[in-house]
Amino acid sequence: MQQYPQPIANLIDSYKKLPGIGDKTATRLAFYTIDMDEDDVTKFAQNLIAAKRDLHYCSICGNITEQDPCEICTDKTRDQSTILVVEQPKDVMSMERMNDYHGLYHVLHGVLSPIEGLGPEDINITSLIKRLQKDTVKEVIVATNATPEGEATARYIAQLIKPAGIKVTRLAHGLSVGSDIEYADEMTLIKAVEGRQEM
Amino acid sequence: MYLDKLKLKNYRNYENVDTTFSPDINVFLGANAQGKTNLLESIYVLAMTKSHRTSNNKELIRWGTQFAKIDGTVVKETGSLPLELILSHQGKRAKVNRLDQAKLSQYIGKFNVILFAPEDLAIVKGAPMLRRRFIDMEFGQMSPKYLYALTNYQAILKQRNHYLKMLQQKKASDQLYLNVITEQLIEYGAQVVVARQEFLQRMEHWAQEIHKTITLDQETLTFAYKSQVPTEALTDVKAAQAALQELFEKHRQREIEQGTTLVGPQRDDVVFLINDKNVQNFGSQGQQRTVALSVKLAEIDLMKELTGEYPVLLLDDVLSELDDARQTHLLKTIQHKVQTFLTTTSLDGVAQDIIQNPRIFHIEAGQITTD
Repeated sequence: MQQYPQPIANLIDSYKKLPGIGDKTATRLAFYTIDMDEDDVTKFAQNLIAAKRDLHYCSICGNITEQDPCEICTDKTRDQSTILVVEQPKDVMSMERMNDYHGLYHVLHGVLSPIEGLGPEDINITSLIKRLQKDTVKEVIVATNATPEGEATARYIAQLIKPAGIKVTRLAHGLSVGSDIEYADEMTLIKAVEGRQEM
Repeated sequence: MYLDKLKLKNYRNYENVDTTFSPDINVFLGANAQGKTNLLESIYVLAMTKSHRTSNNKELIRWGTQFAKIDGTVVKETGSLPLELILSHQGKRAKVNRLDQAKLSQYIGKFNVILFAPEDLAIVKGAPMLRRRFIDMEFGQMSPKYLYALTNYQAILKQRNHYLKMLQQKKASDQLYLNVITEQLIEYGAQVVVARQEFLQRMEHWAQEIHKTITLDQETLTFAYKSQVPTEALTDVKAAQAALQELFEKHRQREIEQGTTLVGPQRDDVVFLINDKNVQNFGSQGQQRTVALSVKLAEIDLMKELTGEYPVLLLDDVLSELDDARQTHLLKTIQHKVQTFLTTTSLDGVAQDIIQNPRIFHIEAGQITTD
């Protein structure tokens, strides 16, 4: 059987390392890459390297950033009294998109899950506690996902922080805005009714 | 509700099936090993997204093919509803009204079935785990809230057991985390036990009535829910929480020593009593069968009470297990009320005067022919 020349075989192998890409897609991408302009390919390779080399984790909040500390942590116009705790860097992007929260962030990089070998020392909790020792923070908003593990992590953080007299809040569960009740699943409805507010 | 149309593609020994059922009684007739139970199972899988015979969905895909597809049209009081389930080696995909359902919990419950197979006699005779699984499967179908509490409970229980093992082996020492997951476990656990108690009481009501008729008023059937939570605390979630809290505090040290959770609904059981005697220990084979039958038939009425519609009944090779009197009672109860699918090797033993106009499907080597 005819073998792929080594450079193509290597490229296919590299593409296969990306999530959601198997043999066929990797092969298609590899052959497409060969037909691309050399400039584009060089740019592509540079971008890959730069993403890895020029990005760091912020030593304060744990978010991905080009410079350490990150833009958000160094922005003095932001509300220094609130920290919003999320699981992943992409959650920070989601929160920033709403353009309504002007406090600080803290990225945990995971949730507590003994099965996956993630204990309190393995996620970014210690640095959160350290940040709280400065007196500026008045409220911590825990925005972990609504999964059993996300919930356990939120409670764990709350138990740790509360003795220090800092207010700890949790995101609400409920209906998504602009959606029909008809299309909501049963548990979302049950949560929405539980969390109803007086008018 | 009833299943009007069923299409199968590459399901077990069926390559292609396209058939229409009677809203009343449907009989799958054929010799052994021709695919009667496979066909019945496909209806069960369409409702539950998993089989009662295997936990490995790959076994459901016809040998040498990539995926199996079950397509059904369910007629409910609100109109007809197309359901579609695709099983592949990667997992499963469910569609309601041709729309992909992101969560299976949104799909389960759209089409309700009750299955009665010879193995179900084990819900009376067998280990407590079988009764718990029975309760969880059936109540989960009827109440999304129960299913949610139970799924979360099980997820946290797994984490907690793992963590207790780490504490036992001194690989972890954080007591605060143990407190937090215990608190979570207590909240969901309380919801689970209270819901179980409530469902069991409702089911007991229906089962009692049915059992009385079958036994000609000779026997009174009662259920007893055996939980570590005291009975008086089972009526209220707050009280059940307090009771569980106390139990967990009492067992904490032992849990760490043994590296596993010792308290909670995963250790519950149900006891069936006839005239106040435990059927499991003191009942005859016949009594145990009758109790299993009463419990299953009670589910039909319970489902109607809770969801507003009768479920579809699947009887796998059950008639041969029952004597004439019980067969007659079973068929009388379901006739003209519940759509029923039953498998049998011959119709001779079946009380033919009772089944009126059944639709008969002859099954031979994965091929279906109708009269």
